[in-house]
Amino acid sequence: MVKIKYLFIAALVVILGIVIAITVFPSEEKRVKKQFRLLSEWVSKSTEENAFTMLQRMKDIGSLFDAHCELKVPDQSLSGSYTREEISTYTGSARSQVSQLDLKFYDLQVVFPEKEVAKVTLTARLTGRSTAGEQIDETRELECLLRKIERKWLFSQIEVIEVLKR
Amino acid sequence: MDVHQKIRQFFFPPVTTKFLIRVSLVALLAYLFFGYLCIPFSIRGISMEPTYHNGGVNFCWRLRYLFSEPKRHDVVAVRFAGSKVMLLKRVIAREGEQVEFRNGKLFVDGREIEEPYVRYPCHWNLSPRQVEKDCIYVVGDNRSMPIESHHFGQASKRRIMGVPLW
Repeated sequence: MVKIKYLFIAALVVILGIVIAITVFPSEEKRVKKQFRLLSEWVSKSTEENAFTMLQRMKDIGSLFDAHCELKVPDQSLSGSYTREEISTYTGSARSQVSQLDLKFYDLQVVFPEKEVAKVTLTARLTGRSTAGEQIDETRELECLLRKIERKWLFSQIEVIEVLKR
Repeated sequence: MDVHQKIRQFFFPPVTTKFLIRVSLVALLAYLFFGYLCIPFSIRGISMEPTYHNGGVNFCWRLRYLFSEPKRHDVVAVRFAGSKVMLLKRVIAREGEQVEFRNGKLFVDGREIEEPYVRYPCHWNLSPRQVEKDCIYVVGDNRSMPIESHHFGQASKRRIMGVPLW
């Protein structure tokens, strides 16, 4: 009986150790996914957001991107290479035209094709309402490239995958 | 054993090894069945009105095209990056066929196709285009909105997840 008790305690300690290790030292995949969680949180906008928070969010969003990030959108004039500042300004301007915004990512598949490069395929869903009262509901499949620069995973390429081609 | 006791035993059976194995097996089978074969989903949006309503609940049966190919008028679920977000659309043409809309009427290979499921007025015009190899052409049943606002086009057959159960 005493043996079983000690075995149980030992198993509990091992499980606790594993949980702590995973939390304190997250895998690279978790670090990459965290960047998406932050992007989702910072792009999303509630109706009560004030000007100060908006400016802070603009700055925060910029910090997730590489110095130059390439955007590939089929049949759109948006395609091109953008600097971190341009992305901040562009997202700030886009966010000012909506009263409420919610960006969510689903089905993230992370692979590491080479060292310090992560390729992520995912579904992005943007819902909300414009300041004019129009409903926003857009879903796209994205392929993102992130590079590890100074121990931080930064977005360096975002490509919109065409699921339905007219 | 009286009825009261039988009912009690049915709802609160004694926790034996046999019982735990049975519960684990049921949980595993349910996870596999509803996670991979018959995926539950809720409908968001009006693109399939009036056949499927916004807020409706259904299941995606994944084995439908195991031994057959999608046919015209079939309703299919088209995936993005994974199975969390899918598009529910109707197949209107198959590979090699030519699709065209003339004043709201569907023409495939120059022949007008009857579509009894389209109930709302439609005035779409779309120049003829060929469906590529290994692709199907899908459109929603609700074509009352402008053509630019409707998400439709050709999708790779590999993206078809299955069909709704009802």
